[in-house]
Amino acid sequence: MLRSLLLAFCIIAACAAEEEPSPLKINRRLKEELSLAKSPELYFVLDLEGKNISLRSKGMVLQQWTIESVHSWGQQPALEALTVIKKSALFAPKRKKITPGEAEQQGDKFELDALELKDMPSSYVFYLDKGIYLYFRAKPKRFLSRVGNIGHFFVWYLWVPLRNLGFEVKKKPFTAIEVKLGGKEDAQAIYWSFSEGTKGLFFYP
Amino acid sequence: MKKKKILLLSLAIAFALFIVLEIIAYVLAWPRRLPEELLPPEKPGRGTSLARVEAENMSLQRKMQALPPKGIHIVIDSGRNILYLKKGTETILQAVVSCGSGSILEEPGGKRKWIFDTPRGEFYVKSKITDPTWVKPDWAFIEEGKDVPKKQQDRLEEGVLGDFALGFGDGYFIHGTLYTRLLGRSVTHGCVRVGDKDLKAVYKAASVGTKVYIY
Repeated sequence: MLRSLLLAFCIIAACAAEEEPSPLKINRRLKEELSLAKSPELYFVLDLEGKNISLRSKGMVLQQWTIESVHSWGQQPALEALTVIKKSALFAPKRKKITPGEAEQQGDKFELDALELKDMPSSYVFYLDKGIYLYFRAKPKRFLSRVGNIGHFFVWYLWVPLRNLGFEVKKKPFTAIEVKLGGKEDAQAIYWSFSEGTKGLFFYP
Repeated sequence: MKKKKILLLSLAIAFALFIVLEIIAYVLAWPRRLPEELLPPEKPGRGTSLARVEAENMSLQRKMQALPPKGIHIVIDSGRNILYLKKGTETILQAVVSCGSGSILEEPGGKRKWIFDTPRGEFYVKSKITDPTWVKPDWAFIEEGKDVPKKQQDRLEEGVLGDFALGFGDGYFIHGTLYTRLLGRSVTHGCVRVGDKDLKAVYKAASVGTKVYIY
């Protein structure tokens, strides 16, 4: 009995063990990344295998953020360069318009109001080409963010599948990926660092 | 009473339709892998050996490893306003800086518009200057509510850029500042302001051609 249990456990463990990517998969990843790394533009790699998202330049990781969990709807994106077309958030930060002469008139009373990291949203969507929607959210810590999480739950499990249905009817591609990050700061940093036009790759297991 | 029954029935039908629609949506949206023809084949095809693929992988990895700078380079995190002076993968110096405010200035009359962002991407040091003089651009006068001067001499301002400046193109510089209390804040018009001590170290270490990465 004990021997059977042990054997069963080994089989399960072997099945659950992470497989190394095949040489052909590595080949494709390297070719795609090399084509992005050759340009002076920054690019990102969303590594769903390693559970991290990194901003890179010339093959060098400039900044990396850990992903807590990932969920998806629709077809897995192809291993090819994808572009961030638009960033969208419920409370998108707004740039301040400078009034000519304001600083001079107010003198010492003048208060600086710049766009900073803390002004960035922690829950937002990146629209990529090929019908890919990347939903980012931070792990909720406070009561209000937990309440907001309930709203996101309904969006993700009720609205997004319906949206996919709409795209299927129109025969257009649609993929939705939800990336949950460890903290608000990570989410804000990603929103700040990724510009519209940034290209990137998805590494799937 | 009859109206109430009709309303309840309508709501029940609408809810049932919604559930059916959601079930169909779930089935269609269920995560699925790429179709076979778009995936790289699991086994090498005729004329392709696994050894050749692995050899190509090694060649590609060597090309990737050759791309990042091995010597001195500068990395600037514009979000957290931090500058890293690096040699290969080692960080030699970490400095608190000030990057672009992201504000917008429009010229009265609506002819020109400036967005004060620090640019992102890969750049390189194009010039190194000691005791730099600021040649105030048009936006600096417009921001102050003043007329743009016609004479070049009226644009010159000494002592505001610190002891050193490193230009990385398009009029952007890494330079010093009088406003050291604002270091760590996004307050500039796009340039990167550094404290005196850190600026000296960066200036000494970097040379024309040193790579600058900003994100």
